[in-house]
Amino acid sequence: MTTPHPVVIVGAGPSGTAAAAQLGKLGINSVVVEEASKIGGVIYRGPLRDSDDLPHLDDNLKRAMDALRTRYSAQQHHIEFLTQTRVLGPEGQNKLLLNKENTLSSIEYQELILATGCHERSVPFPGWQLPGVMLLGGVQLQIKSGLVKPGTRMALVGTGPLLPLVACQLHKAGVDVAGVYEASQFNKLAKEAIALLNKPKLTLSGLSMMAYLKKHDIPFYYGWGIVQAQGNETLQRMAVAPYNECWQANLKHTKTIDVDAIGVGYGFVSRSQLAMLLGAKHQYSQVCGYVPTLDQWQKSSLENTYIVGDANGLLGADAAIFEGQIAAIHIAQKRNKISPKEAEQLAGKVHRKLERIKRFRCGFDRFSARQFGLLELPKEDTVVCRCEQATRGQIDQAIEQGAKDITSLKMRTRIGMGDCQGKTCTSYAIDRLHHAGFIDNIGTVKPRFPLDPIPFTLLEDTHEAL
Amino acid sequence: MKSLKRTKDITPILGASFNITINNQQVRAAAGETLLSVLLATDHKRIMNNDHHRHCGAYCGMGVCHCCQVKVNDQFKQRACQTLVQPNMTVETLSNRFCEEGIK
Ligand code: FES
Repeated sequence: MTTPHPVVIVGAGPSGTAAAAQLGKLGINSVVVEEASKIGGVIYRGPLRDSDDLPHLDDNLKRAMDALRTRYSAQQHHIEFLTQTRVLGPEGQNKLLLNKENTLSSIEYQELILATGCHERSVPFPGWQLPGVMLLGGVQLQIKSGLVKPGTRMALVGTGPLLPLVACQLHKAGVDVAGVYEASQFNKLAKEAIALLNKPKLTLSGLSMMAYLKKHDIPFYYGWGIVQAQGNETLQRMAVAPYNECWQANLKHTKTIDVDAIGVGYGFVSRSQLAMLLGAKHQYSQVCGYVPTLDQWQKSSLENTYIVGDANGLLGADAAIFEGQIAAIHIAQKRNKISPKEAEQLAGKVHRKLERIKRFRCGFDRFSARQFGLLELPKEDTVVCRCEQATRGQIDQAIEQGAKDITSLKMRTRIGMGDCQGKTCTSYAIDRLHHAGFIDNIGTVKPRFPLDPIPFTLLEDTHEAL
Repeated sequence: MKSLKRTKDITPILGASFNITINNQQVRAAAGETLLSVLLATDHKRIMNNDHHRHCGAYCGMGVCHCCQVKVNDQFKQRACQTLVQPNMTVETLSNRFCEEGIK
């Protein structure tokens, strides 16, 4: 009898790690492919260099990081962990092409679990290309994993629960936090009180963060947001203004603040490039971009491919863990390690916990729902696609001339054709087309092989070797 | 060779460390950290010179935006946020093959 191929898991964040641990518990081996050098994903990776203590991180976070690591270590003998390894795309049937330190290899799978997470939604505004303007998650990675302060005096703009959290972490790390600007109005949050009570502990920790900010005189403004970043070679100042309900900035009341770094966080999009390249069916969601169509076991339209965690919607780390477990349970049942009844029982509990998180999350999603006012931030000459330097004016012109979908917009303006494959500009372009009245059939920037750049010579060498 | 000071560390450098060279200046780097962290620790905000001669800094910090590309050990276009430091690494910021060598 041949031993079955291992399950391959792409991504070692909360969902991928939980899937590997659950599979191990049920006696199934897996291979986890991860870009970084450690498990945990952006949220629970922890410091990359040695440090005696982490004065800026709260105990809840440290506990969550430890819990994930413990669960993983208990099953380590079932798990092969490929660090600093990137998936370049599919290779033939049931195989992925991998790149580790400029060496190509491929890996075959019987089942595939994609736990690729999400990345941040970019919101172009004048000056957003100035060095010093960073996405909120990038700021957080620097303080949590890099143990480095991205600036001396900083402000945060955007929406959602990450804003107060990062503000507290920055302050504890010794950064002078000049202000936090939440785009939505406070009364909108108050309306979600019932949804938020689905997760009383989390809601409480949110309140305690607000109390911390208050105690340290860090101003938190609801209904305010970014208008412009300014500076010569790097960021020196930013302009913020009150936002109305539609997040249109009232420029009459613009305020300028001296800062040398900003964290900008107007939401996330699922990272679905690999799933799309594999051919899994997707649909558009206003909250998180293109998300795969899944059944109750996290299985995609492809028979042996599961998608878990933020890669299929933005429910955060706890939900990601449950989804990873659900996929693992289903694989165990398919491989006859447990009976369908056992699978139902195991998954039932997890599904119920997941439901609660969904109800809680819906409240936040409604509060943070992106408004079209953001589309008005970039000026005519503001760059929207950083890689190709395509401007808002060029996009407007293309739409005036008849572009109704992403592909024609791309052909006319070169948006999405650069190194990042459209990950930075697509969200704006989609919103812009929607706002112009095009909803159906606008398509998206199709992911290209290889998903991550590699030198040409590398492909040549490998093909000669084959 | 001149050396650079790390001014932005949240906690002191502990454990294994070595020197790397950034724009002909030496700096201490800790095993495990990314090149972007060392650049930010030494207050390098302008990092990349893109193909359109536009200077940019790290933006996403997680390998997505390609706005932090530098020359590492003579290889152009390496993402600082995705590169772990190695002993004796040499790094050049604001370097760009098209701007320096033209199209060959
Ligand atoms: S900062 Fe975005 S890729 Fe490095």
